[in-house]
Amino acid sequence: MNEALAVPLPAARRRGRARAAWRAYAASRSGVIGLVMLAVIAAAALLAPALAPSDPFALGAARFLRPGAEGHPLGTDHLGRDVLSQILYGARLSLTIGFVAAGIAAVVGIVVGSIAGYFGGWVDVILSRITDMFLIIPAFFLIIVVVATLGNGIIYVMVVIGLTSWPTNARLMRAQVLTLRERTFVQALVALGESRSRILLRHIVPNGIQPIIANSTLQIASAILIEAGLSFLGLGDPNKASWGRMINDERASIMTAWWPSVFPGIAILVTVLAFYLIGDGLAQALSPRERQSGT
Amino acid sequence: MGRYLGRQLLTIIPTLFLSIVINFALLHLAPGDPARIYAGQDIATEAQIEATRRALGLDDPLPVQFLRYLKELAQGNLGISFAYRRPVLDLILDRMPATLLLTGTSAVIAFVGGALLGAAAGRRTMSRLDLSLSFLSYTFFAIPAFWLGLLLILIFASKLGWFPTSGMRDVRAGYTGWRAWLDVAHHMVLPTLTLVLVQMPIFYRITRASVVQQQREDYVTTFRATGMPHGRIFRRYAMRNALLPTVTVFGLSLGFVVTGAALVEIVFAWPGIGRLTLDAVFRRDYPLLLGIYLLLAVTVSLAILLTDIVYAALDPRIRLR
Repeated sequence: MNEALAVPLPAARRRGRARAAWRAYAASRSGVIGLVMLAVIAAAALLAPALAPSDPFALGAARFLRPGAEGHPLGTDHLGRDVLSQILYGARLSLTIGFVAAGIAAVVGIVVGSIAGYFGGWVDVILSRITDMFLIIPAFFLIIVVVATLGNGIIYVMVVIGLTSWPTNARLMRAQVLTLRERTFVQALVALGESRSRILLRHIVPNGIQPIIANSTLQIASAILIEAGLSFLGLGDPNKASWGRMINDERASIMTAWWPSVFPGIAILVTVLAFYLIGDGLAQALSPRERQSGT
Repeated sequence: MGRYLGRQLLTIIPTLFLSIVINFALLHLAPGDPARIYAGQDIATEAQIEATRRALGLDDPLPVQFLRYLKELAQGNLGISFAYRRPVLDLILDRMPATLLLTGTSAVIAFVGGALLGAAAGRRTMSRLDLSLSFLSYTFFAIPAFWLGLLLILIFASKLGWFPTSGMRDVRAGYTGWRAWLDVAHHMVLPTLTLVLVQMPIFYRITRASVVQQQREDYVTTFRATGMPHGRIFRRYAMRNALLPTVTVFGLSLGFVVTGAALVEIVFAWPGIGRLTLDAVFRRDYPLLLGIYLLLAVTVSLAILLTDIVYAALDPRIRLR
């Protein structure tokens, strides 16, 4: 992602900057569209019990009812389960996995990257090597191995996705810390006798965190896609409604009934797209250079 | 240049070794007992399972197993697959051509198409072409590849009947010579299209961004001041510079060509490495998995090395550092 210029400012003035950043974000059309899309999806996930026409796993109805059928706006699947209800509940799983996995990746990335960048020397060499190695490891297959062996609970899926996607965050954070470390305000803090850990935690990390935020929206999107891929392979949590698993369950009958496998795909597409658009808006808001070029 | 190359090669070795250690440890420490699977899960007695474990070499302590693996590896032996009872190297080489054909073709098409469209959009930002292409690129970037493949099968294979639904060749027809090639090409269209559509946005976005950046550079302004036609500045100078980052990403993506298409291969029943890998995961085929992971680590490292070399050839400052 782009390396946002981190302007070191005291906390009081940071609020004014946040307002300016929000204005820049609101000026980017894609960012606003993405935020509206996410609001709708999040509302659907939160209100799923109220909005869903029936229980997502209820088997009562006839099989393969067409979209628009009485009480089943998006039809039913090969077991007679309501497609719309499954999609609404699936939003909960996708959003949870996206946010938690990206959160883990952000925390690990920030810790590793800022320590490597701030302390330098052999600490930096070792941490950077480990980061590079994780970039080379075939993450998707590693995730498959772990989930296939440890079990497919949602916790494992989130943790494994998080623990394999932190390296880009670590690299971004390290680059930020390397430039921030040399800034006058940090030098001044050192001269004032501020402890190293306090400088790192209170001053460097908050000022250098912007690219991680923008990158995290992309990682939420990719975590949602990975979960969909895992469930498509039959490795998802069997007790949770999942868009990827819906596609996997229904692909065999796609020639007779397209709707149970096409609608969940659209749900994935729209959700992932929302996060890409938000990331676009954030990139423009956080980096003055992007702001000029626009998208 | 020679010294630079040697140094880069040396850094690959520890990375490769570490990835071997990690892969080995992860596979063997993970729960799930291959001996139980290969002894026949339901009916096997404890004695049978124990015998299978010994036959597969899984009864020794882990460090012993690891040293044995390294020793074999040093002699170029990747081991025998648990599931197929054949040398791992043979299995990989069997599947390699199908995967390389599919992923190589689609990577090249996606690169050329993405670069051309990205250049067209980046030349006139905020134009209607730019806005619609940028929106399309986001959309296709957000589509799960396996689902796009299913849609293409639904529309072009089952509804319209233009292309076969799966596989790589029509076994019953038994074509020979150029008809056989044509048959493979016919089977390839839909999986290739799927991969092209999901990969093109990456090349599009990078080319577009660097074209936008190049056009703001001083040398472009200078050329303009001399009265050089805009189209010529763009074609002869700006475009060439703008392609560099795109080439870099292309080089990196080649590293993942081997396994990157696994889900698409499954949807189209394409007989490649991706399917082999997934089968190996589900059947706990440790030697096969380790072989595939090693192959992947080597190709990724080589791709990174290759991009480094291209960079060093282009920019002497890198060599001197």
